[in-house]
Amino acid sequence: MIDGKHGGVILFGYGKFGRNVAQTLKREGIESILLIESDRENYSKALQDGFSNAKLMDITDDANLEKIAVAEDDQLVCLMDDDHLNVFLVLSLKALYPHNNVLALSDSIHATSKLKMAGANKVIDLYSVSANRIYNILRKPITTHFLDGFTNSNHEYSFREIHIPENSFLHEKRLEDIDFRRYGIIFIGMIDVELGNSFIFVTTGLEHKLDAGDVIVCIGHSEDLDRFEEIIKEPEEECRI
Amino acid sequence: MLHIRSILSIFGKYREKSKKLIDSVEHRLITWAVRLDNSQRYKELRKRVDDILNNPSNPKKRYLDIFIIFLIISSVFIMIYEVKHPLPLWMDIYDIYFVSFIFLIEYILRLWISSDMTNEFVQEYNKATFLGREFRVLPALAKGLKKKLKFMITPAAIIDLLAILPAYRPLRVLRIFVLFRFLKLLRYTRSINQFVEVLSNKRFELLTLLLLLLFVMMTGAIAIYVLEDMRNPGINSMFDAIYWSLVTISTVGYGDISPVSDMGRVIAMIIILFGIAMISFATSVIVSAFSEKLHTLKEERIVDEINKSEEFLIICGYGQMTKMFFRQFNEIDFKYIILDKSPERVKEALHDGYDAIVDDASRHETLARFDTNNSRVTVMCMTHDDVENIYITLNAKNISPKIKVIARAGSENIVNKYRRAGADHILLPNETASTMMAVAIMRPTMYKAIDAIFSGKNVAMLDEVIVHSHGHLLGKKIKDIDFKHFKLIPIGVQKQNENRFIFNPDPETLLEHRDVLLIIGDKRSISYFKEISCKDRC
Repeated sequence: MIDGKHGGVILFGYGKFGRNVAQTLKREGIESILLIESDRENYSKALQDGFSNAKLMDITDDANLEKIAVAEDDQLVCLMDDDHLNVFLVLSLKALYPHNNVLALSDSIHATSKLKMAGANKVIDLYSVSANRIYNILRKPITTHFLDGFTNSNHEYSFREIHIPENSFLHEKRLEDIDFRRYGIIFIGMIDVELGNSFIFVTTGLEHKLDAGDVIVCIGHSEDLDRFEEIIKEPEEECRI
Repeated sequence: MLHIRSILSIFGKYREKSKKLIDSVEHRLITWAVRLDNSQRYKELRKRVDDILNNPSNPKKRYLDIFIIFLIISSVFIMIYEVKHPLPLWMDIYDIYFVSFIFLIEYILRLWISSDMTNEFVQEYNKATFLGREFRVLPALAKGLKKKLKFMITPAAIIDLLAILPAYRPLRVLRIFVLFRFLKLLRYTRSINQFVEVLSNKRFELLTLLLLLLFVMMTGAIAIYVLEDMRNPGINSMFDAIYWSLVTISTVGYGDISPVSDMGRVIAMIIILFGIAMISFATSVIVSAFSEKLHTLKEERIVDEINKSEEFLIICGYGQMTKMFFRQFNEIDFKYIILDKSPERVKEALHDGYDAIVDDASRHETLARFDTNNSRVTVMCMTHDDVENIYITLNAKNISPKIKVIARAGSENIVNKYRRAGADHILLPNETASTMMAVAIMRPTMYKAIDAIFSGKNVAMLDEVIVHSHGHLLGKKIKDIDFKHFKLIPIGVQKQNENRFIFNPDPETLLEHRDVLLIIGDKRSISYFKEISCKDRC
């Protein structure tokens, strides 16, 4: 499920957020998780929950952090319950492993900016998605309904990254010539490999000729997305579905 | 009705013939009362009159208030004008008949709704028949009248009555009762009302002070009368002495009467000292009464203000979630109130520039203060505590099922409880953030897309465009709109008449009146598109 080349995940903190994230990752089938905790209670909880690959250490001590075997493409995720500790951790990790991807969770606006200053590559605000959802509930009922379709239990809609396979009829095609609608899906953007794997929205006025190996992002019903992934393997486009 | 009549006829048989006349009167009275009590229209009328006179949240009451205030002020103005000028006839007629007439009607209406006499009468009657007792009309009537009388001797009712009196022209003295019309303003202006209310809270202190003042004043008056009655030409009676004493004690000191003897001066000095002490004491009592009440008065104002709006939010808890919520808005164009139990957080909210009051939203009285009948109320339970959030949800739903509740839940396991409590929307910030984190770890590139769409970033905003009856979009098909030109993607159409959401609509989908088009795009593109699409209308 992980796209591209990925190393392991090192989670710092198994508190209220760490636990959720670790379990989500486990559900998604990611095995190479290393948990690091400084709190004895949380540590034993992690062991109880079946994360055998867990370490107990004082994370404020750089000597300890240096001892962790961090591979070059490991992702470091800071999920300490305490904001101050989280910022401190990001700062230490960035100093020790400047090339690794450091992610952090923040639970306030102030913490977000501090984490960014400390060098976190990605900061996820605990409330930004939920706050926007309230906004939508109050102002945009249809949008709310639509977005709920992604998260509710029957997963009406989903996001999907689709790799363009070799020999696909999409090869060498210009994006604006492809009619995604006839497959029941909506094309929202693509990942530009040349620009360092960044995501570009179609709404920014994307002009691109597809090649094999490109990754496009679509939304739609899961069945339609599955069907589309099958269809694009064919060298010739089928006439009509 | 038949039942009552049959009972009455049984009664009638046992009565003597001489009582027949009284009986028939009583009989009629009872029938009439019962009929009135059963009449839905009568009850409706009563309720409406009561509502317009006494319910401050009734929007129509405002107009009535303004009208009455106008009458009062014009009447007082006429009285002042009359001192120096002869009155034109129309003014006289207006003042005597029109104003007084309106006040009379108002008085009668207030008297009418002050207690429900018919209902009490009928209940008394029902009780008597139920217990098999003889029903006596007069005591029942007296009981009802007593209640009315009780209303009539309240200060407000007396003022109302006196305000009608100036209409009686032969007695010119009654003109001064126009001033009672001025007092009527008390009822119609809230700030004066609150002033009186605040002072009445300090009734005990003020009364003690007044008694003390009276005592000192009388002592001074008696002393000066005894000491200077013969010597001082200004003091000829006890009344003069009291007048002097009051003028002195209040530190006004006209000087028209002044003590002539040394003893008299000593008394003057003593009561002046008393006077200063008492005035400062009275001032401090009043000031402290206000500073104690100022807080609640201010809160009441905020609540009243918000109750006037058609739609408002009650945000319970001022935490990170609430702060983040406010950041979603460029400008706050909605009515809201923040309630928080903790004074520190309320202080913080006020400091951040938001309206907040210290109050516990899980208490019934707190939420019941808000007008849920005339306004659409949304309660947002944003506290960190699930137990409290659920309690607030239940509290809100208990007050009125019409209240919409958006609640924040701590974990997935508790969502069912919120559902059962009646929450309309449930947020799971912790779970959502964890999922986002997992997405960021596993699919770092797609995370950007998901994050942008779910947290409403400007680069990819979801927005709704309503098809107006005069807009450009009406009657068009999806294929007729050049979305590519606007750099937008149509995500779906909500067909209002079928109440159905079409994801990824067919190019042939027709846009009809009140349909909603869901689009995604850059914020600027969306606002441009909105501007173009409803040009004719807006």
